[in-house]
Amino acid sequence: MWREKILKKLAGWHALHPWRMLAVVLLVTIIMAGAAGQLKLSMRTSDLLPEKDPMVVQYNKVLKEFKTASSLIVVVQGEESRIKEFAEKIAPKILDVVDSSQNKKWREEIEKLEIKIEKLKTRNGREEDIEKYQREIDDMRSHIDKVLFQRVDYKAPLDFLRENMLMLVKEDDLKNLKDIFTNPNLLELVRNINDSMEKEYIGDQESISTREKEDGAVSFLDGIQNLVLKLRKAASQQELTKEEIKAAADKILFGDPYALSYDKTTLILTAVPTFTIMDRDYLMVATEEVQAIVDDLLQDYPGLQAGLTGSVAREHDEQVYSQRSLGSTTLFALIAILILLMVSFRMWVAPVLAIITLVVGLIWGMGTTFFVVGSLNMFTALMSVVLLGLGIDFSIHIISNFTERRAAGESIPQAMESTFLKSGKGVVTGALTTACAFLTLMVSQARGMREMGLVTGAGLLSILLATMLFLPTLLVFRARLVEKKINKRGKGVREAKDISFRFLGRMAEWLGKHYVFTIAGSVVISAFLIWSAFQIRFDNNFMNMEPESLASIELMDTVLEKFDISTENDFTLVDSVEKSRELSKKFRDLSTVAVTEDISRYLPSLEEQRARTPVIEEIRDIVRESEIQNIFSPQEMEMLKREIGRLEMNIIEIQDMAFLGGRDKVDNKCKMIVGDPDVPGPGNILRDLLQTMESDFSAGAEGFSLFQRDFAPYFKDSVTGMCRTETITLADLPESILDRYSNTSRNLFIVTVYPAGNLWEGGLIYRFVEDVEGVTEEMTGMPSLGLALLRVFGRDGRKAVLLTLVIVFLLLWIDFGKLRDSVIAMIPLALGIFWMVGVLYLSGQMLTIMNMMGLPLIIGIGIDDGVHIIHRWRSEGKGKIRTVFSSTGKAILLTSLTTMLAFGSQFFSVFPGWAQFGAALFIGVAACFLTTTLIIPGIIGFIERKKR
Amino acid sequence: MKKYLIFAILFLILSYVLFGQELTGKKIIEKANETFNPDTVYARMKMTITTSSGKERTFVYDSWSTNSGEKNLMRYLEPRRVKDQAILMLNNANDIWVYFPRTGRVRKLATHAKKQKMEGSDFSYEDMGSGDAFIDDYTAERLDDEKMEGYDCYKLELTRKPESDLSYPKMILWIIKENFVPIVIDYYSENYPDRVEKRLVQSDVQVIDGIPTAKKIVMQNKNDNTQTRMELLDVKYNLTLDDDMFTERTLKK
Repeated sequence: MWREKILKKLAGWHALHPWRMLAVVLLVTIIMAGAAGQLKLSMRTSDLLPEKDPMVVQYNKVLKEFKTASSLIVVVQGEESRIKEFAEKIAPKILDVVDSSQNKKWREEIEKLEIKIEKLKTRNGREEDIEKYQREIDDMRSHIDKVLFQRVDYKAPLDFLRENMLMLVKEDDLKNLKDIFTNPNLLELVRNINDSMEKEYIGDQESISTREKEDGAVSFLDGIQNLVLKLRKAASQQELTKEEIKAAADKILFGDPYALSYDKTTLILTAVPTFTIMDRDYLMVATEEVQAIVDDLLQDYPGLQAGLTGSVAREHDEQVYSQRSLGSTTLFALIAILILLMVSFRMWVAPVLAIITLVVGLIWGMGTTFFVVGSLNMFTALMSVVLLGLGIDFSIHIISNFTERRAAGESIPQAMESTFLKSGKGVVTGALTTACAFLTLMVSQARGMREMGLVTGAGLLSILLATMLFLPTLLVFRARLVEKKINKRGKGVREAKDISFRFLGRMAEWLGKHYVFTIAGSVVISAFLIWSAFQIRFDNNFMNMEPESLASIELMDTVLEKFDISTENDFTLVDSVEKSRELSKKFRDLSTVAVTEDISRYLPSLEEQRARTPVIEEIRDIVRESEIQNIFSPQEMEMLKREIGRLEMNIIEIQDMAFLGGRDKVDNKCKMIVGDPDVPGPGNILRDLLQTMESDFSAGAEGFSLFQRDFAPYFKDSVTGMCRTETITLADLPESILDRYSNTSRNLFIVTVYPAGNLWEGGLIYRFVEDVEGVTEEMTGMPSLGLALLRVFGRDGRKAVLLTLVIVFLLLWIDFGKLRDSVIAMIPLALGIFWMVGVLYLSGQMLTIMNMMGLPLIIGIGIDDGVHIIHRWRSEGKGKIRTVFSSTGKAILLTSLTTMLAFGSQFFSVFPGWAQFGAALFIGVAACFLTTTLIIPGIIGFIERKKR
Repeated sequence: MKKYLIFAILFLILSYVLFGQELTGKKIIEKANETFNPDTVYARMKMTITTSSGKERTFVYDSWSTNSGEKNLMRYLEPRRVKDQAILMLNNANDIWVYFPRTGRVRKLATHAKKQKMEGSDFSYEDMGSGDAFIDDYTAERLDDEKMEGYDCYKLELTRKPESDLSYPKMILWIIKENFVPIVIDYYSENYPDRVEKRLVQSDVQVIDGIPTAKKIVMQNKNDNTQTRMELLDVKYNLTLDDDMFTERTLKK
């Protein structure tokens, strides 16, 4: 009764005071539009999990405390020397990037605070207040022309390595390698390399059997390759600069300092920002500025390719493309729905009014979202699509009824009152049921699911409110206009047409009469689709939800392919270097882990350092005593030839072992030195060197003498420098290393763990996460978060589906007041869910967190069809099945089609995850419509037949 | 009453005859070891491995084994680039030598290499040439019989003896009752005692020279999610193999 009173009152306001109502609506819309404009979008997985989940807390802590956790990676591809040159040029330019876009805003704020300080000073205000404002001013000043990057990493920390390299080498390796360092003269060096190689790589199978060892072997072979090429140049008396000779020595001692791929065609620069990934504005500016620098510099380097990836670029790309995609798909859905309504109603004014109302409702819904949750996540970003499909239904009901009443000759106030009383009640009940179903998702602990429930529930109520407050006003204005036209022209204006879908009525009547066939057919189809539903499998590859066309995502694959390392890694925080070392070792022992990165790489334990010291001292003593020979004698030439022959044999043996062992990187590197045995011909640079030496013996000796004069002293000095035996402490590490592995307070250390292979292939993600979490439960990062999300969604999703079903059932029971009718209304919904999953399976799709989200939502959406049909059947009475389905069938077909259009619009989304969500609900809505129109007639036929 | 008593006694006697002499775990593993490690054997094998960059690579090699697997010699036939490369394993793979035909040199691998992967496969040297390790290094306990790969099998749990230095702390074997072929072996991890690290599955069992022989062998590595397939192209048992064949000296021949 009270509901009718309110609705009557509202109808009266609309009919009598449309301008006032319009003013109220406009005011609310302006406020809500302002709020909606401030909504931010986050596509981060961590924002979908419970905020208090330890893994999320840890993740956010890492992002906050370690600027290095948010990185912008520049990937450059091309010829080795040119990509190195490119890197040298771009690095300082990146460091110069500043954000000046906010300067004006900050200056204004500073000015305001300075005025406040002045006022406080003249009024002898409190010192603390003045100091507080001053601090705020200082903070604001730091934002003016804010420098966006603190460091660009693309080279090993050579300065530190020059002093401490040997202390960082494991004792066993040091013993194996020590011979190499002991004599800087060419002949002895090559001989020592041979001795060492026979011990290290031939004598010990383990030496290339792990990823770390394989990388070490490739780096060492790379140094040899470079030395051989330089020696050939020297032997043929080609000019070699001192820098080239020094670089050859450095490559033997330290490896290539640049972050180069195995095939030397790709280089990565990691720009470490001064902001975190949570600072959206800086993130956008930084990415766009660096992209501009890259594009600009590429013009000077034709033939090179470069692009951006890393968490910062990926977040930027996802923000830009998701907003663009949402904008275009929403517009597409709006236009498609408008056309559908215009065709169905055979008029254009009412559909346009419905769309305007819907847009206003969406603005209110988004404004409410801002006030309720503040930002959008990967799920709630789709709220506009969900609300679009459902919200339009309210307008359809109101417009249909009002135009019918007007066509029946009622006055505007009368027509409005009967519309509110007849359709308003149904619309309100339907909206509340669906909103309640959505709000049930709030039982979930997962933030993504909880917010989805809250945002869609609140959004739906906002659209309901807009429909009740705004649409009637528009209808009143239109009706008045129509009246004026009628009065002016003296002829009628078409209001509405009856376009009931009689075929639906005829079909339902037939199905009702042949209820045995209908029920049996429904059982057979449902059994098949239920069986299909249980065959569906979960898609373990989260990347299938990401848009492949985004440059940042494509480059992630490039990094994985070229560097054989995944950019998706896990990490953990510890409070001491010792713990970092201990964990790192445990992680490295896992077969699912490729490499680990932590501070202990540059800070061995005291025991380790003590054990290494005598070996280093031995090397230092020997190398100090070694004499540099300025003349390379012909006898030495002969001996060098033999050593080079020995070197060739050693590398051939390494190559064969690597080939048999499936160690492709080592095999490929060996091919660059001794050629490819499967492709006879040139390619053996050692043979080339021998030929050059033999072709002119004396010229070769002279060339080597010149080479040795520069090489040997530099090599000796370098090795002597590396023999520092003072204990390395945390304080000795340079800032560049400390920043990478420690927070600014230097009381927390990060251990990063990289998976051995592609996380998304063969279920590696499950084994990797199980392994690393077996070492410590305090893991976080993309793999752990992704799996946690699956677990939480699986658990909460089941809970939400069951609870929503129970609540919807109870609401129906209250509404119908009869258990039987509420059960009948639930049957098409329950079967519709199975049909939906079954069809998903049959269409070759897999379950993802995105389409799984559609399951609890479809309960709220799909129930409407059954409710409307049962309501109408009850009010029409027995034997009216044809009327029920001709009239209400039309309504549910139209509302289903509009909802399907809204969800279907996501097929065109650049985000496959959203397309999966759209497809699931598209199929779900269609399934619920079909189960309602095919199964309910059979049940009704059975009941009526029984009664007869 | 008397009749029932006689029947009960007869039943007990019959039970003893039928079940009392049932095979123990030790007996079963001894019999399985005979089929798994015949005294002498020659085989031509095809082995397919997965390389570190995810590609498949196939090798064909001849292998000879004597003293129930204590001495093993493998000589590669294909692909061309490793033709004639040979591996000699002595003392149950404690000593391993490799011959490189491209350089003509023989090199000895370190002792601990036996626990490493053999030539990039999912077999370790130890898996390939551990002789009587099933008997010497493990104690066998018989579990409830099970059907496996379609065969009625004895199921055994092998636990490593404390003094053994072999890699696997535990193995579960399913041995075909009919011919004592270990059709499936689960190798458990040293670091994670409850986790199966590798699974060996044998199939296509044929009787050759009176010895039941699985012509297809797959080793699945559960950690790396890789597998190595082996196929017996030819096999001969009970040959007379000269001990000289298994020396470092003759490796080059």
